[in-house]
Amino acid sequence: MEGSVLVIGGGIAGIQTSLDLTELGFKVYLVERTPSIGGRMAQLDKTFPTNDCSLCILAPKMVEVFRNPNIELMTYHEVKEVEGKPGNFEVTILKKPRYIEESKCKGCGDCAAKCPKIEVPNLFDMNLGKRKSIYIPFPQAVPPVYVIDPKLCLKLTKDVCGVCSKVCKAEAINYDQKIEEIEIKVGAIVVSTGFDMFGEELSSRWGYEYKNVVNALEYERILCASGPFAGHVLRPSDQKEPEKIAFIQCAGSRDLQEGIPYCSSVCCMYTAKEAIITKEHSENAECFIFKHEIRAFGKNFYEFTRRAEEEYNVNYIQTKISSIEEEKDSNDLIIYYEDLEEGSFKDFKANLVVLATPLVPSIGTRDLASILDIEIDSYGFFREKNSFYKSLSSRKGIFLTGFCQGPLDIPETVANASGVASEVATLLSSKKFTQIKEKVFEISEKQVKNSEIPRIGVLICHCGINIGKYVNVPSVVEYIAQLPNVVHCEDNLYSCSSDSQERIKELIIDKNLNRFIVASCTPRTHESLFQETCQEAGLNKYLFEMVNIRDQCSWVHMNEIEAATLKAKDLIRMAVAKSKLLIPQKEDSLKITPTALVIGGGISGMTAGLDIANKGFDVFLIEIEEELGGNLRYLNKLFPNHDKASDFVNPIIEKVENHNKIQIFRNSVIRDIKGYIGNYNVIILNSDKHEVELKIGTIIVATGAKELKLKHISGTNIEKESNIFTQLELEKKLDKKEIGWIKKSKRITMILCAGARQDEGITYCSNICCCVSLKNIRVLKEINPDLQIIVLYRDLQMAKKEFENYYRERRNDAIFLRYSLDKAPKLRKNTKKDESYSITVFDTNLQDYVEIESDMIILSTPMIPQDGLEELAKMLKVPLDQSGFFLEAHVKLRPLDFATDGIFLCGCAQWPKNIQDSISQAKGAAGRASRFLNAKEIQTSGLISEVKEGKCIGCGKCVETCPYNAIELVEVSRDYEIASLIINKSSVNAALCKGCGTCAATCPVGAISVKHYDFNQINVMIDAYLLEKSY
Amino acid sequence: MTKTQIKAKKEEVEPEILVFCCNWCSYAGADLAGVSRFQYPPNIRIIRVMCSGRVDPSFILRAFKDGVDGVLISGCHIGDCHYISGNEYTRKRFEKLHKVIIEQLGIDPRRIRLEWISASEGKQFADLIKDFTNEIKKLGLVKQYYLV
Repeated sequence: MEGSVLVIGGGIAGIQTSLDLTELGFKVYLVERTPSIGGRMAQLDKTFPTNDCSLCILAPKMVEVFRNPNIELMTYHEVKEVEGKPGNFEVTILKKPRYIEESKCKGCGDCAAKCPKIEVPNLFDMNLGKRKSIYIPFPQAVPPVYVIDPKLCLKLTKDVCGVCSKVCKAEAINYDQKIEEIEIKVGAIVVSTGFDMFGEELSSRWGYEYKNVVNALEYERILCASGPFAGHVLRPSDQKEPEKIAFIQCAGSRDLQEGIPYCSSVCCMYTAKEAIITKEHSENAECFIFKHEIRAFGKNFYEFTRRAEEEYNVNYIQTKISSIEEEKDSNDLIIYYEDLEEGSFKDFKANLVVLATPLVPSIGTRDLASILDIEIDSYGFFREKNSFYKSLSSRKGIFLTGFCQGPLDIPETVANASGVASEVATLLSSKKFTQIKEKVFEISEKQVKNSEIPRIGVLICHCGINIGKYVNVPSVVEYIAQLPNVVHCEDNLYSCSSDSQERIKELIIDKNLNRFIVASCTPRTHESLFQETCQEAGLNKYLFEMVNIRDQCSWVHMNEIEAATLKAKDLIRMAVAKSKLLIPQKEDSLKITPTALVIGGGISGMTAGLDIANKGFDVFLIEIEEELGGNLRYLNKLFPNHDKASDFVNPIIEKVENHNKIQIFRNSVIRDIKGYIGNYNVIILNSDKHEVELKIGTIIVATGAKELKLKHISGTNIEKESNIFTQLELEKKLDKKEIGWIKKSKRITMILCAGARQDEGITYCSNICCCVSLKNIRVLKEINPDLQIIVLYRDLQMAKKEFENYYRERRNDAIFLRYSLDKAPKLRKNTKKDESYSITVFDTNLQDYVEIESDMIILSTPMIPQDGLEELAKMLKVPLDQSGFFLEAHVKLRPLDFATDGIFLCGCAQWPKNIQDSISQAKGAAGRASRFLNAKEIQTSGLISEVKEGKCIGCGKCVETCPYNAIELVEVSRDYEIASLIINKSSVNAALCKGCGTCAATCPVGAISVKHYDFNQINVMIDAYLLEKSY
Repeated sequence: MTKTQIKAKKEEVEPEILVFCCNWCSYAGADLAGVSRFQYPPNIRIIRVMCSGRVDPSFILRAFKDGVDGVLISGCHIGDCHYISGNEYTRKRFEKLHKVIIEQLGIDPRRIRLEWISASEGKQFADLIKDFTNEIKKLGLVKQYYLV
């Protein structure tokens, strides 16, 4: 068995899986067929519902992949052949020729600047921008290595030119590269090949062929500050600002004629986002969203669409589109549509049309399926083995993650990716850490005392001609060399090349340097490389300082060589000043107790518990009730496969109960939680009302949610009505043998969004109620085919791949009437004897009131947070969101983490979700937690806050400010001549501190500072800049 | 031009501006300005801090005491902070402390600015530097107006 994994596809799914896998102890080969990782997320401008800058949050992860010694990044590679079985796959990979030596290219871009080949459309900008024939897909591409387009390059096509080879100082150009085959052995394979977005594949009625009709990904590039129009909202035909922009939702999705029967799941949300950003970019723009239905079912999603409408004046129109045509002279578009609210046919003139076209499996999915010998479903996505374990492909040892298996949004993808990493880790558990490289430094670290005179070495980089051409490097070297404490200063062509690393080590040792500075490019990508080099030479990595004279001097002052040179001198002098005050920092290691506490024994808690226990760690599972199983215990049948709920959940309960690594506490509650990651002391009050103390390494919160019980519906009190009940109550009734009452019933009405998506109270959409309702329609109809069922709904949230078809089938079983919030259904009880009801509802499709008679009314009420979460949140020191669910660390990229390290989240505790998603999250949370348990000990950063106890007045301001709960006030005893006093002092927990330094700026007496960015270090930089000019 | 001449020229018309950039958004935005070759005036010097929340009022005071002509603090957009809420404190501190302090010193508050720059806003970073430098140039050099 191999301790390595092949990940195919370098989008966010592949990135997250790879990063988690290395932390779980496995080597990763990450194969990406394009020249850079990043995938679709890198193309997005912002992400809903927080409008976070997409690349800002993704780029650090891309860099992390690049620097990770245990990820072999294989961009511009493709998988050719796979043989073998789980644990032992043999894979043949094709390395496509870049015509650039990856190890030599520094990504400087001199080649592209000189490349004469006429610019062609850039795929990254969805063909709206331009690139040369030698290019990098986008500025933040990882790896930062260029590639030659062999179809365009004059040298490769006609054997003329060759200018890139002449200008490349790194001698990285190699026109003779050929396709290579590489053989690797891996234990498991993860497929994360993502999606494409339809454009020209659409039928002509959508008008995609017209210049000013773009699909949503193209529009993302138009919006993006680094996109083809530099963030100005312009239309492609004339690059003028459009005044009227029409967004068309479901442009081809949920459409059997277009061959896309499913809902792409994310379009309602990104359309609202794009409309909001448009309004932020240009105030005069008017945005019109031609909607079919609003599917906004995630955390804060529905509220987000409301904000688009109410705060940003985005106009939503309920429509069905007939066709889109172009007006010849103006290139404006005429949209012909049916206004469903008014029942009339209309037309609308727009300057720009944005189509929310279907998201489909990425091109090549079928070929890859046959290479991997795994199945494809009827939609063209990879087929999951089981509706509840969507990550398993049809072949053992091959896993699926992200959009390649069906529509998912980013947080769902990230959670799923962590879950897949966890499953792989369980499969290959016996081989963990066998193929992982641990960095060992041969030269032991030399002691540098604060009293020692600084001996500083400075290396100044030409970066080919990138710095050298616009900054007078020799004069900078001459100037810096004469500064006090600078023992040695020299320049070189590329500081990042491997021979330069050897030179740095040589200098440190030969000249007995105790500080080192490199002035070159950005520390964001290169600092860790140089730090490692210093450490290899025995110099503590915190004694290194980096200056950015490329991005901040040569590249931005290209016509001002004198000023750029002066600026470089200033910046390096500032770094020299700081460098003198640098202090070697220690990265402490922190022991991790290898146990997990899982709070909650529903499907999420049980899944997470089993996953961790199967990796060999002790799990304590605490359940507030007597029985395990949570809400699933009350369910009758499961959506969408109609398995009996008990048949599904009982074997899982049995596994948990019989697992020798899991200890269950029933009827128990948590009394107290003290400590921090790796070292929690948890006190539990068990069923005998005894306190039990547990030593815990990591905690998973899986407390679930519960169904809302309504007392009123549109003003009518329903508490005592035995024929009005909720879906969960229906399930409980159905689960009993006695179902004669259904056979006797004639008419049932289901009211959806009962108590949900309101203006006040519960404003959110609770995600699962539509599915539950449709499932129960089928169950009821199977028992009594003559039953007449009427469904009163607002929008149906059937967004996952197979859900739309399920809904399509149910339309034969029931009558669906749409109502709006302002004209909600009214109930009236008919007679006391037969307990039937009259319901009056305004049908928005008919635009008229309809009166319905019903024997029974079933309410689909939302899921709400469990009781007692505030108390638990306080003990865990983690936050709740505005709806009362737990608040994750980051809604997009850290959906399962809390800001506080060591505590994780899954299932309905985070947000109402179905069984599939709960399981996916639970496995993900288990994986995230296992990274720490695996490690046995973790390294704390050297860049953390420190308190000068003598100065601290114990005011607690820093405690309030710290976003990570890393600071607490501790009582310290002070002895004086006549008495001892107990006083408060701040104390920083190195395990939790992230080194942001917000505390330092808050402290009124300057008692708290942050290492490496302390007061003196910053002050001397300011002084050096302003007072020490001496050119 | 000799070094003395450069120095003389610089002191005549060229203001000195200190910029604090947070590592995660604004510094990355400045990098993107570089990668994209967006040109801006060479009057700024960037000090990188991990979070804009690190910028202590004493740094501002020190810079003005040392004769700086303008100070720009730049961090992630509100809601985007890498450290969850650090920039919220920056914002509060800026309004209540930084601006107040320099006003009390008798310095024009337009000489200090707080701006949010994301990692994809290279253009915006360059434009911001142009704009701020122009504004400071209009205000003139601190040394010509104040005894510091």
